[in-house]
Amino acid sequence: MKKITGMMIYYYFVCHRKLWFFNNDLTMEHNSELVSIGKLIDETSYSREKKNILIEENINIDFIKDWKVIHEVKKSRKIEKASEWQLKYYLFLLKEKGIEIEKGILDYPLLRKREEVFLSDEDINKLKEVIKSIEEILGEKRPPQMTKKQICNKCAYYELCHI
Amino acid sequence: MYIVLMYDIMMDEKGAKVQRNAFKICKRYLTHIQKSVFEGNLSELNLMKLKKELNLYIRDEKDSFIIFKSRDEKWLTKEFLGKKDNKTSNFF
Amino acid sequence: MGETFYIFKDGELRRKDNNIIIESLEGEKKNLKAEVAEEIYLFGEISMNTKLLNYLSQLKIILHVFNYYGFYSGSFYPRESNVSGYLLVNQVRKYDNSEERLRIAKEILKAASYNIYRNLRYYNGRGTDLANPMREIQSLTNRLDLCTSISELMGTEGNIRKTYYSSWNLIFKEELFDKRVKRPPDNMVNSLLSFTNSLIYTTVLSEIYKTQLNPTISFLHQPGAKRFSLCLDIAEIFKPLIGERMIFSLINKNQITEDDFDRDSNCLYLKDSAKRTILMEYDKRLKRTILHRDLGREVSYKYLIRLECYKLIKDIIGEKEYSGFKIWW
Repeated sequence: MKKITGMMIYYYFVCHRKLWFFNNDLTMEHNSELVSIGKLIDETSYSREKKNILIEENINIDFIKDWKVIHEVKKSRKIEKASEWQLKYYLFLLKEKGIEIEKGILDYPLLRKREEVFLSDEDINKLKEVIKSIEEILGEKRPPQMTKKQICNKCAYYELCHI
Repeated sequence: MYIVLMYDIMMDEKGAKVQRNAFKICKRYLTHIQKSVFEGNLSELNLMKLKKELNLYIRDEKDSFIIFKSRDEKWLTKEFLGKKDNKTSNFF
Repeated sequence: MGETFYIFKDGELRRKDNNIIIESLEGEKKNLKAEVAEEIYLFGEISMNTKLLNYLSQLKIILHVFNYYGFYSGSFYPRESNVSGYLLVNQVRKYDNSEERLRIAKEILKAASYNIYRNLRYYNGRGTDLANPMREIQSLTNRLDLCTSISELMGTEGNIRKTYYSSWNLIFKEELFDKRVKRPPDNMVNSLLSFTNSLIYTTVLSEIYKTQLNPTISFLHQPGAKRFSLCLDIAEIFKPLIGERMIFSLINKNQITEDDFDRDSNCLYLKDSAKRTILMEYDKRLKRTILHRDLGREVSYKYLIRLECYKLIKDIIGEKEYSGFKIWW
């Protein structure tokens, strides 16, 4: 079983199908403008900070300050809930390693906004459930059923799902 | 989207370097059609990348870049007076 | 979507200033916009070095090479960066399961022959009486359903194509015969057809490249060593719409005549200017768009090919049975 990455947590809250496709290397992100734009923002913003810290293979933190605050850079707030959980998952993993992080911050450089994220005990329980649920989805032989959402329109997988 | 880009670069001692770099960058994204004029189709992403690259060289007080954008090439008519060319053709 | 460049002149293709430059023997230069280029077709005699190839690979640009006579030589296909072991295993499994393979192969041919039928119907509605070949193709298409083996399918397909080809002289305009006294010689049409088919093959290859499908594992054609046989499978579906419609139009509008061929070669070789005419038309057609019913979006003819790849992927992973592209407008 692959390690659960922050990306997987993020995708779990965005779309289960996307999570499944992504995990089977049926990725469409390379065809997507939005994803590349996201990457570009990530590269251009906060160039002074220490960037992209890879801790083991499943934690890829956009940047970290004094081992107290971790940051995740996003383009828009459309799927804020997923971003929050991705950050909470990092907080959780680091906590398990004995690194107490004070808080996480979601940065939206294009919007000049930021959002603080904290990890509660309740969140930890929820994360454990999420991880179990992700493992179930990844174990499926076929992609989960499609549920039509507003966000599908801009998704890199739109054509693959709707054709 | 369809782009027409043009620039004026102040030719002081550093001007030549700015111009050389701007020219090289633009040519990787657009077709060079006149002295400091370029045109071509760019995605939102490529336009962002182009601007990001150019911003490394543009001096805010001295150089001026102008970008005209149109959703699609078909909303733009191009007319030649004098010499006609087919520089934007993908056939060579 | 990126841009495609077509090079006919002789010269040198090289990397310079992080860009791709073509310089003709006469010293004429053109920038191939490295950031937006996606495919480059070479018809002239071009020299290049590995520095360029490495750069193309980095940019994931595909190079298609044709020889002096216009025959396809091969493609420089950058290292696959888009692979899924999961999909590959299942693609092979589909191929290996004779029932599943037959089902997909049948679907490909049914779509192809429907599109052939639609071409005839199009011209039938424009004053040419094609009722007989149409009827024949329809009954042959129905027979596809009853085939129990790939070779049987291939045989029926051969008959469909034979009927189709024999009706072509009816499609080419009458006045053309009068003017030139004789019908377009077979060689001319054959040359056009094989040139166009090789173009479609390269376009399909470029689209497959953008997906995780493996181009060597096919369903209708025998997975071959010499060619990417999945390209041949998918090309079958798009030949009528993209290639053959273009040939009819090129000949009927007199854009291509016998004069465009090397006479000494008995119309086997296309002149350079003719290749250029065909490619301009081909390029235009790939860019044509149509409102896709299932997607609710405008898609280009070229993108229809990619969608075909997606449909195959969905069949391979067992999500949705493949149904081939049929002209719906």
